[in-house]
Parts: sequence; C-alpha cells; structure tokens
Amino acid sequence: MNRMGREKIKDLSFFLFPMILMILFFYIIPLVMTVYTSFTPLRNWNVERYLFEFVGLYNYERLLYMFQHDPTFKAVILTTVVFLGITLVINVLGGLVLALATFFINERIASGFRLLWLLPRMSPIAVYSLVWYYFFHGSEIGTLNSILMKLGVISQPIPWGQIIPWGAWSILIFVNGLVGVSFGMIVFTSALNQIPRELIIAARVDGASTWDISRKILIPLMRWHILYVLTWQFLSLLTTFHHIFLLVQWNLINRDYGTTLALYVFNTAFGRGEQDQGLAAAAAVILSIVGIIGGYLTLKLLKFEKMMKKPRGDF
Amino acid sequence: MKDIEIRSERFQWIVILALLLASLPLILGYTLLILSSFSKEMVTNLDLTSFHFTLENWLYLLQGKLAITGGIRVDIWRIVFNTLLVALGVALVVTLVSTMAGYSLSRIDFKGRKHMMILLLILHAFPGVALIVGVYLLYLLTVPQGQGLDVLRLYSFFYVILARAALEIPMSVWLMKGFFDTVPWEFEWSGIIDGASRIEVWWKIMLPLVKPGILAVALFAFLAGWQDIIYVRTFLIDQTLATFIEANIEAEYSHMPLIAAAGTLYLLPTIVFFIVAQEILLQSYSGGIKG
Repeated sequence: MNRMGREKIKDLSFFLFPMILMILFFYIIPLVMTVYTSFTPLRNWNVERYLFEFVGLYNYERLLYMFQHDPTFKAVILTTVVFLGITLVINVLGGLVLALATFFINERIASGFRLLWLLPRMSPIAVYSLVWYYFFHGSEIGTLNSILMKLGVISQPIPWGQIIPWGAWSILIFVNGLVGVSFGMIVFTSALNQIPRELIIAARVDGASTWDISRKILIPLMRWHILYVLTWQFLSLLTTFHHIFLLVQWNLINRDYGTTLALYVFNTAFGRGEQDQGLAAAAAVILSIVGIIGGYLTLKLLKFEKMMKKPRGDF
Repeated sequence: MKDIEIRSERFQWIVILALLLASLPLILGYTLLILSSFSKEMVTNLDLTSFHFTLENWLYLLQGKLAITGGIRVDIWRIVFNTLLVALGVALVVTLVSTMAGYSLSRIDFKGRKHMMILLLILHAFPGVALIVGVYLLYLLTVPQGQGLDVLRLYSFFYVILARAALEIPMSVWLMKGFFDTVPWEFEWSGIIDGASRIEVWWKIMLPLVKPGILAVALFAFLAGWQDIIYVRTFLIDQTLATFIEANIEAEYSHMPLIAAAGTLYLLPTIVFFIVAQEILLQSYSGGIKG
C-alpha cells in the first residue's frame, strides 16, 4: 500500500504539474498582483517609481467618488448594467429559439445554420469587428445606412454608434449578442437531442402543435440547461470586451456609452494617453469579486458537485 | 430531427425562411467583406455598383505593398507566420496540458480532486481576462533585462503563447476529461496487469484511443490563438494579422479593399476548419459542457 501510495503521488505530480503551473502563473499570481497593484499608485507602467508605494484604499475611494460624480464613469456603469441585462436575455432566448428552430427542420439544413451562427464566435476578432465596422458605418458607405436610404426610410446617413445612449448600446448588444447566442444554441441543441423521441411522438399523435410541444415538453425538460446558460453567460459577459474593443477604438461606437467596465479596466491600464494601473486594478478587483462570487453561486445553484462521480480505474 | 416526420413540409419551409431572414445581417456582412477584397472600391452597398472586379488587392497584399501609391511596405508573410506561430503554440501547450491533466482527473482518485475540478469550473466560468493587469505586471517583472531586441521578441512570443493558452486550459481539461471518461477502463487494465506504468499506459494506450478528443481540443485552441487580438496587442512585440488590421484601418494611407483582403486572408483558416471539421466543432462544443 505504501509503495502504491508513493507511486500514485509520482504519477499525479507528473500528470498535474503542467496544469498547476499554468494556473499558478496565469491565474493565482496575477490575481494577487492585481489586488496588490490596486493598493499602489502605479501609472504608465512605471514600476520602479510607483510599485512599492502604498496608498491604501485611495484607488477604491476614487472609484467610489467617480461613481458618484464623474459623468463618464457613470456612463460606463450604466452601460455595463444595460449591456449585461439585455444581452443576457437575448443570448438565452436567441439560443433557445435557434436550437428549437433547427431542431424542427431537416438535419442537413439545420447544421448549416448552426455552423453559420458559430461563425461570429470562431472568426478572428479583428475580422469580425471589420465586418460590423462597415455594416454600421456612420457615412453612406455603411451597409445599414445604404439599405435604409434606398428604402427611403432615412434621407441622410445616420452615425448609429454616436447616438447616445441607445444607438451605441444597440450596436454593443447586437455585436456581442451574435457571439453569445451560439453558446446557448449548442447547449440547448445537445439537450434537445437527449430528450427521448417517444415523448415528442406521443404528443404529436395526441395532436399537439409544435408550439405546444416546445412550450409544455421541451422547454420544461431543459430547465437545468437554461439556468446553466443564463449563469454562465452572465459571467462571461461580465468580463468580455474583445468584440467591442476595436469598434470603440475605431470610433464606430461612442466611447462613453460603448465602454463596459471590463473594457474600462483594459483601456485605463493599456489605453492611449495617461494610463492608470492602480485605478484599473481596483476596478478589476471589484469585477473579480463579482465574478468569483457569481461563479461559486452558479456551481451551487446548478448542483455541479453531484455530477462529479468518483473516477473509474483507480486502484 | 429525422425520424419523426409528421410535420408538414410547409411548416419546415416557414422556419427555414425565418432562420434565413434572421441570419441575413451575418451572411451580408461576411459576404460584402470578401467581395470587397476583389473590388477596386469597398463594396458595402447592396446594389453592387461599387463592385469592379480586380485581383490587385490580393497581389499587393501578398507582396506587402500597403499603399497603392508611395513606398510603404510590410513583410506580410512574416505577419502571417507570426499569427500562425502564436496559434500553433497555443494549440500545442493547451493540448499537452489538458491531455495530461484530463487523464489524471478522469482516472485517478486523490484528495483534493473534487476541489481541483471545482476550481477549474470557476476559472472557466470566470475568464482570466479580468486579471490582465496582473498578467502584464508579471510579464514586466520577468522580462529578461539588458538583452537585445531579439531576446525580447522571443520572450514576448513565449509569454503570449503561455498566457493565451492559460485562458483555454480550464475548459480544455474538462473537455479532455470527458473524452477519457468514455474510454472503457478495461483497455488500460490489461496494460497495467502487464506491468506498464501509468505514464506508459497513458501514452501508449490511452492517447491513441482519444484521438478525436485531442483533435477537437487542439482545433479549438488553435482557433483561439488564431483569433486573438487583446493578448497579442498587449504582449507581442511583433505584428500579427490582428494588430496589422487594427493599425491599418486608422492609417491615412490605407487602401481599404486591401485591408478587406487582409481580413479575408485572416478568415481563411477559420473557414477551412469549418468545412473540414464541422462535425467535430458542433459535437465537442457540447461535449465540454456536460461535465
């Protein structure tokens, strides 16, 4: 037994070593460093000068002050809340609709559509941004403007992303929503495929319509999956900013009403002009706290622990 | 749903039409971008009057002649190579780490296994991007001092690959664990009875059995590395296609259809993977989720 135990430890350290190293270096240490930085006045990455100066809660006080008095920062918080709420609903409902719609049609055509909707998630972020840059462009070269002008709906090109707040928000939500729905779509599709066919056939024989079947049988059976997508998407929307970064950078979207808290952290730490890593770190810490609590609650809510079975093949 | 065709044909066509309508902006956006790369002017208009076919954009792009007039040149092949290097590096690191960790989580029981799996889930749910300030600080503190530019460039490649790979690791480990779970235990048992060690069994028996899983994980990681812009622009000294596009859309001299060609070139591997590996993409995406 003792020899066996030592053997096991040897095996385990071999198999787990790379992963533990990666988690240590790119999650745990950066988390500690982010928390530490939030207590320093670090700016412009001037490590020698500022990194070892301690300012206590100064950065957090500034955030609180800005939250109360700075219109730009207020816009960021408002944008984050609106963006999170609406995009979340769109992602879950959109994913549900896509999954159900593709469930009820010819399988070949259905997988074609599913692939098409995966494209936003899979394509290079710069290309994805380029696509919407031209689509929503504020001059007449913008596709949306040109369509609407041809239809006679508008006579002048409209700079959509500069209409605040709803123009900017709409683009923000649209661009991220398209990326997000594919997650729900895939999860729900795999859930639908696990539902016994007999249930659906029996309902059909009883004369239930597709709408009834969806509402009374399929959706209730996917409750766990809906909760899963809802919570998971919430966490990922909280910290995502890849898909809007370039659109704000290229001035397609208004800077204040196109910036979520995650993007604010990034731009404050790495943006053009004056950079303020202390402040960015403080905002990142707040974001992380919300994320970690949210993640933990999610796992409790979804009862993930029950799904973790003992491994087979242990001796 | 193939086996229960009791619905009317008409209903199906209505659904397909609705789906098509909803997908229209998506189809339109990508099509216009690709079309523009073959045109003298950007085609963003539906009536296609601005479309004049030319291969010039592609020729100039592949020669690295950025502006039609003037002498601005870039080494586009070098940029493509950089992008590829990051993507392959991420794929390699993620595949290696997740096949190792995934196996042990699937097969070996140990104290703290459950906690480790919960930690992975939390890390997966909570994308590490929020920690980028700390990740960059670590980069600044570990970057080799007093070395030449070449060492710095090399280190930035090394660091960006590891940092970007780390983001993919929680999900990939779960995915790999799921694939190992599907392999019957008897396969390994015979190997262990024959006196092989766990590591030998993993390498010689298990890895060949989970080849589809390895392929899926590698593919996802490759695409993640290939599509990235945030990490690349933060850490990498050299340019990739992403930062090339970012820089050139704002530049005065840019010829936009040429940037569209660069975008199409950048999109190409994604499209190829889509067509070649659609089954793997659709299936394994949900496989990683079931836990």
